[in-house]
Amino acid sequence: MSQTAIEVRDLVKHYQILERDAGLKGAIKALFSRKYRIKEAVKGIDLSIAPGERVGYIGFNGAGKSTTIKMLAGVLRPDAGSVRVFGIDPHENRIQNARQIGAVFGQRTQLFWDIPVRESFDLLREIYEVPRSEFEETIAWFIEQLQLEPLLDVPVRQLSLGQKMRCELAAAFLHRPRVVYLDEPTIGLDIDIKETIRAFIREISDAWGTTVILTTHDMQDIEEVCDRVIVLDEGRIIYDDRIETLKQTFNNERTLEITLDEGTTFVIPPSVTGLVTELASETDSIQLAFNHHEISSGQLIREIVNCNQVKDLSVVVPKMETLIRNLYQPEVSA
Amino acid sequence: MKRYAKLYWLYAKNHFKVMMEYRMDFLIGVLSVFGQQFAALFFLSIVFQHIESLNGWSFYEILFIYGIAFLGRAVHHIFFDNLWTIGWQYIRTGNLDRILMRPVNPLFQIVAERVQQDGFGQLLIGGSVLWLASNELGMSWSVMDVIVLLIMVLASGMIYIAVNLFFATFSFWMIDSLPVVFAVFSLSDFARYPMTIYSKVIMFVLTYIIPFGFTAFYPAMYFFEGRGFTMFALATPLVAILSLVIAYRFWLFGLRAFASTGS
Repeated sequence: MSQTAIEVRDLVKHYQILERDAGLKGAIKALFSRKYRIKEAVKGIDLSIAPGERVGYIGFNGAGKSTTIKMLAGVLRPDAGSVRVFGIDPHENRIQNARQIGAVFGQRTQLFWDIPVRESFDLLREIYEVPRSEFEETIAWFIEQLQLEPLLDVPVRQLSLGQKMRCELAAAFLHRPRVVYLDEPTIGLDIDIKETIRAFIREISDAWGTTVILTTHDMQDIEEVCDRVIVLDEGRIIYDDRIETLKQTFNNERTLEITLDEGTTFVIPPSVTGLVTELASETDSIQLAFNHHEISSGQLIREIVNCNQVKDLSVVVPKMETLIRNLYQPEVSA
Repeated sequence: MKRYAKLYWLYAKNHFKVMMEYRMDFLIGVLSVFGQQFAALFFLSIVFQHIESLNGWSFYEILFIYGIAFLGRAVHHIFFDNLWTIGWQYIRTGNLDRILMRPVNPLFQIVAERVQQDGFGQLLIGGSVLWLASNELGMSWSVMDVIVLLIMVLASGMIYIAVNLFFATFSFWMIDSLPVVFAVFSLSDFARYPMTIYSKVIMFVLTYIIPFGFTAFYPAMYFFEGRGFTMFALATPLVAILSLVIAYRFWLFGLRAFASTGS
């Protein structure tokens, strides 16, 4: 049996939140009588991630993504359940675990603010005790992959967001960690830098077998980098599967967008009732969801055109983003 | 240990490189510390223009105590200045998370991330004041005395560090404990005067609760003959070590609390 990279069992974490009425009066009241509310950020998560797997970890804000990652990194202690990263309990053996992980945490920098990038890397080399020759080899590769050459002598504080993020990534992978946590590594970046970063993550992870946990709101990141998607909602995992499976499941889903001539009303042909679902509809623009497998696009269009005054019409193949959104749907309608 | 020394050197080297870039900042920093201390000394000399002695203590004796306080404070100021910023620069901003994800002692990283060059001014003034006072008092220095002086200065610095760390640790539960640290540190001004001029209560507090008495007055007593307090003077290094141990334990306790709340 090969060892798993990350093994999580019944992971639970809750926070105490001070309840306070609105306004200054509420604030003063809270000074004297405190009421706490328990917020369960993570409500029993099970995970098993294989070495070298690249996992997209997604969910709405407040779903518990950061909390989970902080527990995986050893920064937060779980309230219940267990976490093992290559057999190590990240909180109990935080320093030992720190050697095998790397991280990019959104806006916070791993680099040293005032000193040039090159010196920042050097300091990290010392912190992680990377042998000089290995370090030189790694750095040379990263410089090429991320086009870091012109940035090396610039103090970190003078870098633009895109430049900084490239350096952050280099810093996170510098000591060849076995697991890397990337929290929103592409947020606010230009499309070409996003591409560079995605390619970098893929290549390094392929070369070294690095396990990657990626949280993002950009579905393109997931599609291009990850081979597995885990969706978190309100502290629970609501979806966990290979990315191909996700795509296949929804592969036959299509949306037909119809614009009608002004002044006409939409009529659903009796022959297609039950095969289509009307989504958000306004008076003259209608969206119908249907399964490509049950009724072909051509068939449906023919039926629709027969009964309606259609001005414009298009078939939309759902994007990753829509697929993911569909996963939340049961929760939303409930 | 060797690894940490090497790491510290690397941090410091980088810091000095940055410092060289900002020569004006360095000069202004050192000068402002000079200014602060001259003001304190100037005030002291004015007082002594009107009185012969303060409860039996001469101007130069008090100056000697000042000197030790300055030197001890300089140790704290130069190397441990970042303890002040734990609350607002590390805990509140989430920088502590980053530090906790590295395979190096977190407190070491915080401390090493800053060398406060302004403290060198303090070192210079403290040394000068001490030299001047000991000349005027006609003190003679054996090699042993010099070694003891170094130990006492180090111990004095350790006490400043311990008090700073202890109260900075409250930032794990408060939004920022900086005002508390400030308030406690203002007590250290008391400790630059002979403790015998104070009431029993203040003496007790500065000896047993917040041991600022050991940052200047008690250690100075080792070098004065016939003034008593020799046992206290000799206890200074022990008090320093004990204070550090307590403060560090408290820090670890705070860190554990942080790991369970993450705020």
